[in-house]
Amino acid sequence: MRHTRIAGILLSAILVGGLAVPAGWAQQDPVKIGVIQPLSGPVAASGNYVRMGTEIARDWINARGGVLGRQIQLVIEDNKSDPKEAASAAEKLIVRDKVPAIMGAWGSSMTLAVMPKLEEYGVPMVVETSSAASITKKGNPWVFRISPPSEMEALGLGKYLGDLGVKRADFLAVNTDWGRGAVAAFGDILKKRGANVGAVEFMEQAATDMSAQITKIRGTGGDTLFLTTSVEQITLVLKQGQEQRLGRKIVTTGGSSSPDQLVRQAGAAAEGTYHILFFLPWFPEAMPDGKLAKAFVDEWTKRGHPFAGLTEGFRGHDGILTIVEAIRTAGKAEAKAIQAALWKVSLMGVNGPIKFAKDGPPGKESGQSQPSIFVVQIKGGKVTLPAFMAKK
Amino acid sequence: MRRVGLGVLGALLLAAPFWVWNPYYVHILIMAGIFTILALSLNLLLGYTGQLSLGHAAFFGIGAYTSALLALRLDWPAWAGFVAAVLVAGLAGYGVGKVSLKLRGAYFVLVTISFAGVIYLVSVNWMELTNGPLGLPGVPPFEVAVAGLFELSFRSKPAFYYLVLGVAALAYLVCRRLVSSRIGRAFIALRENEALAESVGIDGTRYLVLAAVVSAAMAGAAGSLYAHYTRFVSPEVFLFTYTVTMVIMVVAGGKGTLAGPVVGAVLFTVLPEALREVTSWQWQMLLYGVLLILTVFFLPKGVVPALETWLRERRAIRP
Amino acid sequence: MEEFLQHILNGLILGGTYALLGIGLTLIFGIMNVVNFAHGEFYTLGAYTTFLFLALLETNFFLALLGAVASGILLGAICERLLLRPLLGESIDTTMLVMIGVWIAMQNAELTLWGGVAKSIDHPFPQPPLTLGPLSVAPLRLFVLGAAVLLIAGSHLLIHRTRLGRAMRATFQDRETAALMGVDIHRIHTVTFAFGSGLAAGAGALLGPVFVVYPAMGDPAALKAFVVVILGGLGNFAGATLGGLILGIAEELGAGYISSGYRDAVGFAIIILVLLLRPSGLFARAERVG
Repeated sequence: MRHTRIAGILLSAILVGGLAVPAGWAQQDPVKIGVIQPLSGPVAASGNYVRMGTEIARDWINARGGVLGRQIQLVIEDNKSDPKEAASAAEKLIVRDKVPAIMGAWGSSMTLAVMPKLEEYGVPMVVETSSAASITKKGNPWVFRISPPSEMEALGLGKYLGDLGVKRADFLAVNTDWGRGAVAAFGDILKKRGANVGAVEFMEQAATDMSAQITKIRGTGGDTLFLTTSVEQITLVLKQGQEQRLGRKIVTTGGSSSPDQLVRQAGAAAEGTYHILFFLPWFPEAMPDGKLAKAFVDEWTKRGHPFAGLTEGFRGHDGILTIVEAIRTAGKAEAKAIQAALWKVSLMGVNGPIKFAKDGPPGKESGQSQPSIFVVQIKGGKVTLPAFMAKK
Repeated sequence: MRRVGLGVLGALLLAAPFWVWNPYYVHILIMAGIFTILALSLNLLLGYTGQLSLGHAAFFGIGAYTSALLALRLDWPAWAGFVAAVLVAGLAGYGVGKVSLKLRGAYFVLVTISFAGVIYLVSVNWMELTNGPLGLPGVPPFEVAVAGLFELSFRSKPAFYYLVLGVAALAYLVCRRLVSSRIGRAFIALRENEALAESVGIDGTRYLVLAAVVSAAMAGAAGSLYAHYTRFVSPEVFLFTYTVTMVIMVVAGGKGTLAGPVVGAVLFTVLPEALREVTSWQWQMLLYGVLLILTVFFLPKGVVPALETWLRERRAIRP
Repeated sequence: MEEFLQHILNGLILGGTYALLGIGLTLIFGIMNVVNFAHGEFYTLGAYTTFLFLALLETNFFLALLGAVASGILLGAICERLLLRPLLGESIDTTMLVMIGVWIAMQNAELTLWGGVAKSIDHPFPQPPLTLGPLSVAPLRLFVLGAAVLLIAGSHLLIHRTRLGRAMRATFQDRETAALMGVDIHRIHTVTFAFGSGLAAGAGALLGPVFVVYPAMGDPAALKAFVVVILGGLGNFAGATLGGLILGIAEELGAGYISSGYRDAVGFAIIILVLLLRPSGLFARAERVG
């Protein structure tokens, strides 16, 4: 008898609660934003850093009261570094979770595989890392990129070539869209500036032994080696280069070289190397918005994330910030409105100003922002700003 | 009884776009259909002739690249690309089969792995032809048109679903026809005891090459469908994980049965997506691995043979 | 010429560890008839165990290497007892599928446990390379080569000079007869799998400090191991050793003189050629088709 009564009370409580809660939620249903990153597989480290950055942006925005009076919620999916999975993840985010905007998908081939889905459903995506030129050239009006394509990066480096003293350069790059694209873009700029290009060598993404390539490069008599790959392979190339007394000026491209990790893992082999970066966590005050950059570095450290991940993590933050800004501008969390609003967005991210210019075939242009590009050098086991950077 | 069941299943599949209201689920069904074709094709070799090909993704990739390249470079219509993909993949199957089917067992396995490895590296490094790791974006959707007469577009999801369903059904029928014919009996004889089969006049290598050709052609068809569906092809289509997925589907579904690969393909296409729903990304692949181990552990012969045994026993118990 | 010698030296060092990986796999393949897809994961396990001992428990470097080998042996034995023994008598595809499951599960467990960020292992050897005329080589790499040679020699003694080794060889040649002669097949299987896994873990422990440690590192390693096995012939110990060295050197020369993009293709090309010309491996005396 008593049990039935308790059960009855519980039941009515649940019923009342069940009715009341959705009613209460209705007005502050969170705004969902989809995130597609490689969270497992060979480039899992980078994908996870970007994810950590998105989470910081989420928490900051929510602490400030969210957007349109609603909190934001990230729906994070793993693309397993596989284009098929990236397309499935996009489909799931758009159809199941009904996200009005996505940020992703790290690698260019993953992004390219997602793009037809964006067109099919009409959902905008902010591309935070991919560097292939073709992404914004295909005439997909739902793509907005905040990372630089290799051409833009090479152009950015172009003005420092004289300071770096590059006369004859060799290339070693990962055999992917990114590596191939970087070799082409940087090769072009070098030739335009009158420098010679010697050996062009590639390595598989999972390769660990690059001694053959290094032996070959050692024989060309160049002065500089341009290196484009993940931080893991950069570490290996530096170590193996030291073992073989390669003795070159080394410039890494792509902005994901995590110089700190290099100092720690490659030690003396990293000494003197130059790195193109899109974020300077060691000198946040040198960034376009010093205060924001400083706050981001502090928050990252406070959360116990590895410092080395900052040069990837900021992309996640900037991507989410861009989407939220567009939602604010649009006044509603709807895909079409967000797409239109992205064109009007002008904000300051950790990297610097984000503002989209039109790129691609007329009528269906994609958006491309022009990110800030920096060069650092490892000197005395520390990351330093080279003199030519400091004066500019 | 069995016929009724099959009829109901067929009707459900035909009507799927009407009762599956969510395009995401239609997407999963399409992927399941493409992998059904792949699993059926692998089963022909693995299940019926007993030869394990661990390079099957190569034929899938060859089909995908043939279709994509013909459409993008030569403006071929999709249906012509599809036919070409089937032919080119079949031809590749003939070449590989002719060369490698002199070998058996583990050695055959390793040649097929190597073949897929080489093809992958070619797709990455032959920039002029394949655009290398940058892949081929912008593959047109599947459309059949005769100028001025009629036009049939498979651009929408439900339409593409019917296309995949049709090709999968055709692949199933080809397998069934082949397996129940004299050729199929030769396959099985070769699997069970090759020396004995040859002593009664079955030319082992010839039949195995035939199986390889049909199997590769079917995988090429799946590749072509995949290219026109995702509309983007990159060297990842050759990756070993695709072959592993096919093997999982065939063996866990029940190799050497007709229904096994179909059940396996549907099960193991839905599983990762279902895991997306129920857990966060950290646990998805870990759980996938554990579930796979459990499946093999409790159903070592595969799902379909286990079901058949169970049904037979139930029937036997009933008076 | 200098470049050529450097390529040969690099290839020799690389080949030593390939051999270590290949020996474990070839024994498991030959004696147990199991296509061990999880082999690369034991390699990864060895590397992470070394990292665990050094960075978290702060033990001696060499103790950490021993710990890594022990972890491989232990988990290998557990894996065999728990998963493979109940499936004894099932077809080779079934056991292969279980090992595929182990592969996926182990790799993702490592990812969950350690995170995707690569770890670097500190070692007590001096950084600057030793130079021998035009050649240069890191002291650590020389140590790796030495340790690999020791492990291979030790395994050779175990297989050819002990009762256990004799039982293993007997099982490889004819399982039924060996069982009739009183060889405990179950025990041989457990020992073989544990032994092979221990060698893989040893290779991981040795290469961890040379390269970096991350969850997917086992995949390319396993692929090399498969190439080595086929080069040497199934279950052929000496063949795997030589196969490893040949592969290491061929890859180096291929990448150095043909094209680095096709570096991995060298291994595949060798496999295809070997199988077409000598289907039982380069070093097999008699045909041993399983």
